[in-house]
Amino acid sequence: MVNLEPAPEQLEVAELARELGVEVLAPAAREAEAARAVPENVWKTLFATGLTVPVPEELGGSGIGDTATLMIALENLAYGDPGITLAAFSSGAAALLLARHGGSDHAALVRSLITEPGTRAAVALYEPQGRGASEFATTIEVTGDEVRVRGRKVAVAFGAEADPLIVVGVEQSAGGVRAVLVPRTAPGLTVTPHGGSLALEAMAPATVAFDTAVPVSNLLDASGLLNTIGRIRLAVAAIAVGTGQRAVDYAAQYATERVAFGRPIASFQGVSFPLAEAQMRMAESRLEIAESAARLDDDAAEDVSRAVGYAGEVAAEATRAAVQTLGGHGFIAEHPVELWYRSAAALSTLDFDPVCSSFQAAL
Amino acid sequence: MSLSFTMSKPLRDYTNSLRDWSVAQIRPHAREADTRHSFPENWAEILDTSPVPLGRHDKGGLDPVPEFEDGHWVSKLSFYEAISYGDLWGLFAIGGGIGHLVVDAMGSPWQVEKWYQPVVEGGSVTGFALTEPHFGSDTSQVATTATRDGDGWVLNGTKIFCSNGANAEYVVVFATVDKSLGAKGINAFVVPKGTPGFVVGKVNEHKMGIRSWNTSELLFDNCRIPEENVLGWSEGEIKPRSSGQGGALGALGYNRPNIAAMSVGVTQASLDLTTGLLDEQKAGFSPHRWSLVQNELTAMNHVLARSRRVALKAQALLDGGKPDRSAAAVAKAYAPQSCERIIRRCMQLLGPEGTSEELLLEKWYRDVKIMDIFEGSGQIQRIIVGRGLMGRVVG
Repeated sequence: MVNLEPAPEQLEVAELARELGVEVLAPAAREAEAARAVPENVWKTLFATGLTVPVPEELGGSGIGDTATLMIALENLAYGDPGITLAAFSSGAAALLLARHGGSDHAALVRSLITEPGTRAAVALYEPQGRGASEFATTIEVTGDEVRVRGRKVAVAFGAEADPLIVVGVEQSAGGVRAVLVPRTAPGLTVTPHGGSLALEAMAPATVAFDTAVPVSNLLDASGLLNTIGRIRLAVAAIAVGTGQRAVDYAAQYATERVAFGRPIASFQGVSFPLAEAQMRMAESRLEIAESAARLDDDAAEDVSRAVGYAGEVAAEATRAAVQTLGGHGFIAEHPVELWYRSAAALSTLDFDPVCSSFQAAL
Repeated sequence: MSLSFTMSKPLRDYTNSLRDWSVAQIRPHAREADTRHSFPENWAEILDTSPVPLGRHDKGGLDPVPEFEDGHWVSKLSFYEAISYGDLWGLFAIGGGIGHLVVDAMGSPWQVEKWYQPVVEGGSVTGFALTEPHFGSDTSQVATTATRDGDGWVLNGTKIFCSNGANAEYVVVFATVDKSLGAKGINAFVVPKGTPGFVVGKVNEHKMGIRSWNTSELLFDNCRIPEENVLGWSEGEIKPRSSGQGGALGALGYNRPNIAAMSVGVTQASLDLTTGLLDEQKAGFSPHRWSLVQNELTAMNHVLARSRRVALKAQALLDGGKPDRSAAAVAKAYAPQSCERIIRRCMQLLGPEGTSEELLLEKWYRDVKIMDIFEGSGQIQRIIVGRGLMGRVVG
């Protein structure tokens, strides 16, 4: 049966996340970018809500249990600031993977990721040049009682401090995707902080090269792993849409106040149509994300690449329309629009897959 | 003569030299220029390394760009693209602002002699102050006032986004003598550096891109200037003193295709860099994925070729004595917006490392955004093209 009506709990989550986003995250956005870290008080506030640590009660947490609601939460947090949202979720994603696929050995770690705001874990997931999970070059091979991990991951959150890292790769002998817990102290880790990026600095991303071996008990259960990875990847789409929505709302407000040629510029179709079109694409994208989330929640086979790729473009173009609406004011740091423009572009590079999108000229 | 889209050999040789030089000498300082929000300290020495003349403002006419049979404005396109291919800061360092070009276009002969000649001969920098906090495209909204005071004028108001404003020898300031006259009440005033009441509010705005380009906020607080500093102004348009090359229309309208060329320069650099990096990692791609990547790169190169053609068309018309505002607007609207997408796609193809400061792609992505905003935003260019079109339909 079709049901596109958000449940009351989802509306509550949306409202809470939006409020946090606007009142707590947004004011800290510039500081987080400059410091390349989420300010401590912001992190604690966000952590306490559990919105970004999606470990449900049945797995020992108190966070959001389903992907559909998680996407709503992340979109609305990103409405405040995408950088902080992504940073917070990066640690939460590690907790989610461990909670869903870890054994009893990992229960204590999950506990600390849920209860200790000071912990930072991360998932080493993305590889360059848009390699999706099926084409990962990182290998995870079991030999006897040890697991050999070799590869290179980019955009690893808190690369310089996250512990442990959950590395996702391919087990070539069995042909499937695996995830393994790699403690920071493991030999053979080479961490290269990105050292300044276009945006999303709050998560202090790094490139991490692995050539290491860990005990076989560090291997996570592979059953349903792609589903969980799908949830984590889809989060980037939700964060992108939240970013785009914020930019469009801001620009729309500006357009109703800014007067040129005798009237508010919002009354010119050349100004309102690009924003309206951005709004249309975001409406489409949001539904695409919601359907993907619903399928993941049903444990149906779901490749999120297309939804992620589309949301990335939609947000990049929405923030562009916003900058263009503000003109020169959109280009200076006095307005947050330039930050969103950079953030949306950076988000669109995280998990890009040329298989899902071909280049189109603007005109 | 049959149609040709090929530049003459002398022009190609010249711009190839420029381009190689810009990559070798300008690009290595690109990150520094971005970080310090200013040109490198030794910018003049860096420009000294050029093997060919650059037309540097600070050389006072002793470094003229050669003229080519391809035409003045057509040649300029290649010039702009070649330098931008290294990095945009080089271009900004070479130029000396446009205030004196406005004087040349609008001033009386003695005003030109007093303010234009010394600038081009002495190599100083001038500013042009039109935009205010509450308006950009709609120039009839000038709120800076010029009030009669005996035999002079007193200026009051705030100007923003004034290129070179903080270090200019003088700034040409647009102010209204009577708001009830709308655009007709707006006059241009030459305000020399150091005039009491002329205060630099901000030397350089904190911008997303083209950070090395000084974009100043200027405050005029009971700033008194003599009658002789008033230039002419009417109908919201600068009227050129003559229709020849140079002049204020050259600085404004004629410059629009050059902006397309700047976009193309930075974007071609992005595309070439990305192609090189991807090529190095070809072995890691499945054949299917690699062919998709190649399709992407090809499609983007085609867009740059289209951008070059529309800019070329506009400037060829100009050189041929048939300037066409619509053609210039097509170039200005077409190239920058597509260039943004190309650089973004380059970063996407490389993945998150493509956005790292280790590479210049992220800087060029920030830089290129301005090209669709300044000197007539994309929206304004569409209005110009639309008016040309509808005008023709309506008759």
